[in-house]
Amino acid sequence: MATAERVVFEHVTKRYPGTGAGNPGAVEDLSLEIPAGKICVLVGPSGCGKTTSLKMVNRLIEPSSGRILIGDTDVAGSDVIALRRSIGYVIQQVGLFPHQTVGENVATVPRLLGWEPARRRARATELLELVGLDPARYAARYPSALSGGERQRVGVARALAADPPVLLMDEPFGAVDPIVRERLQNELLRLQEQLAKTIIFVTHDIDEAIKMGDLVAVMQVGGHLAQFGPPAGILANPASDFVARFVGADRGLKRLALIRVADLELRNAPTARPGDEASGARARAAADPFPYLLIVDAADRPLGWLDDRRIPASGAIAADGFEPAAPLFDRHTTLKDALSMLLEAGVQAGIVVDGDGAAQGLVTIEMIIERVRPE
Amino acid sequence: MIDWAWIADHLDDFVGRAGQHLYLTAIAVSVGFVISFGLAVWSVRQRRAYGPILAASGVLYTIPSLALFPFFVPVTGLTDLTALVPLVLYSLVIFVRNIVTGLDGVPAEVLEAADGTGFDRFGRFWRVEVPLALPLIVAGIRLAAVSTIGLVTITALLGDRFGGLGFFIFEGLRHSFATEIFLGGLGSIALAVAVDAILVRVQRRLTPWS
Repeated sequence: MATAERVVFEHVTKRYPGTGAGNPGAVEDLSLEIPAGKICVLVGPSGCGKTTSLKMVNRLIEPSSGRILIGDTDVAGSDVIALRRSIGYVIQQVGLFPHQTVGENVATVPRLLGWEPARRRARATELLELVGLDPARYAARYPSALSGGERQRVGVARALAADPPVLLMDEPFGAVDPIVRERLQNELLRLQEQLAKTIIFVTHDIDEAIKMGDLVAVMQVGGHLAQFGPPAGILANPASDFVARFVGADRGLKRLALIRVADLELRNAPTARPGDEASGARARAAADPFPYLLIVDAADRPLGWLDDRRIPASGAIAADGFEPAAPLFDRHTTLKDALSMLLEAGVQAGIVVDGDGAAQGLVTIEMIIERVRPE
Repeated sequence: MIDWAWIADHLDDFVGRAGQHLYLTAIAVSVGFVISFGLAVWSVRQRRAYGPILAASGVLYTIPSLALFPFFVPVTGLTDLTALVPLVLYSLVIFVRNIVTGLDGVPAEVLEAADGTGFDRFGRFWRVEVPLALPLIVAGIRLAAVSTIGLVTITALLGDRFGGLGFFIFEGLRHSFATEIFLGGLGSIALAVAVDAILVRVQRRLTPWS
């Protein structure tokens, strides 16, 4: 497995012919260092030069001056084709090759690198599993048969195919709906725990930046770096009026996005399975301050809620007639998203599930408020 | 009305003429395609070239075939080339337009992804752009083939050794012999329909994703 490499911008400037500083897409004297294995989010309004900065790393755009290092190597000295094959690249519109199957799309860079067909197929299978797509179902399909979320997963798999030390992601989740986006974000964070790549991630969404970034670089129009650091620091101490305005007036609320569901001590819900004896379950629910019974299937996956008043006094728990088991959280879900989902659903508690969908515990609105209440 | 016995007597002749018809069509379409492909790629790379190329090939297309076929006789004599040169010239506008439209239709994000994943220019063109332009390219081949099959009949005016199945039409007209006109006309139509049907199947085979 390739180790991650740091990425360093040294006084990188990009001016477009006939225009001075301050023009859309230009970058002015950008210097920052992204340590190996970290996610750095470039965030800012449109025209701030964040995408230009990203594309200078794999030389889709050449800087006017300054240099970019991957590890200790200046990218300007590398063969541009070899450089791009060694960097994963994910874009908003995904750009899957419509004439190739999902499996072939994922194996793009391995094929360019001349791997044997059997090795390419094995790698494609491995990567589809990694991004949560069943290879048996998906490898032979064409991209036109996929949903937006599935396409973006394939796009991520394609970028990872040759195990690159650096991954560039340009608004990767910008074109999918908010629910799918939240799930893809969580999946990327889960992948990153295993892979520890150096990821440069471009977004215009400050919430996404706070959630995804180990480091956040706020850029402003003209291509100036307004602030660079961990998201908590940017929320707590915006370096300028611009950053304060860009982060928004609801900085307190946004700080909720720094905390993950996994950081909370989850509440255990009284649970039962359909067919369980009702009276015992009823007693358990009655003994709990939270007067609902969580009904789960044999694999502990939530089926729904049962109001304690609707638990029969005797007999067995029925297999239907529940309130829907929603919202569901992943351990990467931020408290901000969790709170938003709870308010939207109009319920007190959401269920945290693991990668297989098994219930791990509950998060309530009270727990979220408690966590952020000033000491 | 139709003299079936005459047709039965001339089956060998019919097969030979049909073969000539297909031969002229195949050569003209192939050569026209290769020339057009070059012109189309030039047009895509050098946008300024596209207007003049399209205009020139469009003007060629408007020249009446009765005028264009005899035009080259002084240069080429009465060889296959006399028929082939105009046939090729007529195919250019169809091909160039379809190939350029096909290459233009490749989505920008697909090209960006191709560049970003490290295709070189040659690889990007042959493994991404051309395959994605194939539906329109093959559509152009179908149009050009059918149009060329029609034009080959007119080459019969150059003399008896030309014309494919068009020979029967011209000879039938000279002798006011309906059976022969019918044989040539229907034969050409059948040829066009058959070639088009085969190309449709080729297209499906080549572009399983669409």
